[in-house]
Amino acid sequence: MAYLTLSSISKQFGDTVVVEDFNLDIEKGEFVSFLGPSGCGKTTTLRMVAGFEIPTSGKIILGGNDITNQAPNQRNVGMIFQAYALFPNMTVAQNIGFGLSIRKEPEEAIKERVQEMVNLIGLEKHAAKYPYQLSGGQQQRVALARALANRPQVLLLDEPLSALDAKIRVSLRAEIRAIQRRLGITAIFVTHDQEEALSISDRIVIMNEGRAEQVGTPFEIYNFPKTQFAANFVGSLNNAGAEVVDPANGILSMDGVHFKTADTEMANRKRGDKIRISIRPERFSFAAEPLKDNVVDCTIENITFLGSVVRIQVKIGNTKFNMDTFNNPFLELPAIGAKEKVMCSKEAVLVLESA
Amino acid sequence: MNDSLYKYLTWRALRSKPRDRKFNFWSWFWYLLGALYFILPLYATFTFSIEMQRDTLSFLAYEKAFADKEFWHTFGYSNLVALLTILVSALLSIPTAYWIRLRLPQARRIVEFITLLPFVVPAIILVFGLIRIYSSSFNIPFTDIALIPPLTNFRAGTTILLVAGYTVLALPYMYRSVDTGMRTIDVATLTEAAQSLGADWKTIMLRVIFPNLRSALLSGALLTFAIVVGEVTIASFLGVPAFGPYLFLLGQHRAYEPAALSFTSFLLTWMAMGLIQLVTGGQGQATGAH
Repeated sequence: MAYLTLSSISKQFGDTVVVEDFNLDIEKGEFVSFLGPSGCGKTTTLRMVAGFEIPTSGKIILGGNDITNQAPNQRNVGMIFQAYALFPNMTVAQNIGFGLSIRKEPEEAIKERVQEMVNLIGLEKHAAKYPYQLSGGQQQRVALARALANRPQVLLLDEPLSALDAKIRVSLRAEIRAIQRRLGITAIFVTHDQEEALSISDRIVIMNEGRAEQVGTPFEIYNFPKTQFAANFVGSLNNAGAEVVDPANGILSMDGVHFKTADTEMANRKRGDKIRISIRPERFSFAAEPLKDNVVDCTIENITFLGSVVRIQVKIGNTKFNMDTFNNPFLELPAIGAKEKVMCSKEAVLVLESA
Repeated sequence: MNDSLYKYLTWRALRSKPRDRKFNFWSWFWYLLGALYFILPLYATFTFSIEMQRDTLSFLAYEKAFADKEFWHTFGYSNLVALLTILVSALLSIPTAYWIRLRLPQARRIVEFITLLPFVVPAIILVFGLIRIYSSSFNIPFTDIALIPPLTNFRAGTTILLVAGYTVLALPYMYRSVDTGMRTIDVATLTEAAQSLGADWKTIMLRVIFPNLRSALLSGALLTFAIVVGEVTIASFLGVPAFGPYLFLLGQHRAYEPAALSFTSFLLTWMAMGLIQLVTGGQGQATGAH
């Protein structure tokens, strides 16, 4: 049995269904991210685990106990908020020790645990400071220490990095992940930032309109998206309409240009079926190996320099595709308007849904 | 860079520094004008209050005013009523503002409208309403057995009515101070953070909400105090020995003592403000900075 189970969870506010039939099993020590656009129900789901919202239907089982209707202060769950939510009237040490003092733990034990947590987040010199004397990154580290001090069964992180600047965000997310691994704590991380979710998670739950679109490892989510939404939300994607030509051999036609796909569902389709194909920009390359499955003619439309990557817009048939190639100082780029050949493997051609 | 260009740039840099911090005439003009607007009447009151003896400046008016037993009696009574009003209005405003921020944001407009009513409904209407309703006893329905005797008939009763009336008058100040204080600390998130750490409602209120509202509460308390100590209408009509009516009556018969007492009450208010600044010096920063 999983450590944390969300079973057929639904949440309705008035007539609005925010979360619908949400199912998820999380193992002990796992780091799971809820990823999706604003209003997709990820924060509401997290708040249901925390106890701030009660599900309209469904069950939440934590460590074998049904906590669905338990008050937030009765659950042993640690929460980190986007706005830090440190108590302004308390010092760093008092903030960290707050939960332990509520449990009426002995003074010595509190001091010891606070010291341990302060060391963990590397803020030994700031223990006597008030939150307003700390930077945003430091405040969020204190919030992390405060949540961990109680030894919670699950750590919930509600977009904890959103209020920080880009550099701090990257370093703090690595720090959070390292601490989570070291302590072996189960964590749920809510974010709308795909890079954050891909870099930090054991598994990602892609959420859309209150439902889990796909659950998988970052590798699975990126390389084998199951739905158009999941494919579009994570990474960049080229989409185009196509027609099935030879279902048995996975051949399809886009504006008269033939592509081969490895999609297993192709065998169930009929010749002439309208479908949509999706290809990631980095799966294209200039045709140096003629043995690749799909070698097609194209015209160079535009070239955009993005730092480590160069994005080349090519026209295949009547459709424009983006193609990404790594930048290097010796890269020879074609001229705009030049006729070239590009290629991709048959595995790169994803058929996600019928048009 | 050649030497002359370097010298020129150094000269420009040195010149531009004082220009950044130049004397802003209009800022100072409006600041001093505002200060004079408040200080001149006070200065006039003070100089008048020390001119009781002809051709001599003395504190005789103060001595006489403070020697009057009635002054101490009414001042003490008004202070007690002010403290009770602060207590009642805080107990009413804090849970209301807290619950509205947390659970009933849709009721905010209605409550804000109610808190502004004292600006629209004059105190005289309020006191007549209080006298009209509470001058007769409350009987157990369908019997002649009095549950509550007429509150206007005894001193404790009129004090209750006075505190109730002043609580209404103080609502715009106390409620808004508390509400603004709550806005600066984001009570909803702090409450959830405390809950997730195992705190119950009592702990949240006593250890998280109250300490962070200290500054707002003191501001509200000061304004309430200032209103209550000087209030005349309600106190006069309820016939209580309050400081406001005493000062008013004194002003009818004497010239210098009321000026001395007015100046003293200004000083007391300033002292209270200074005390608030002293007590809550770091609080504004603590709640405001991020």
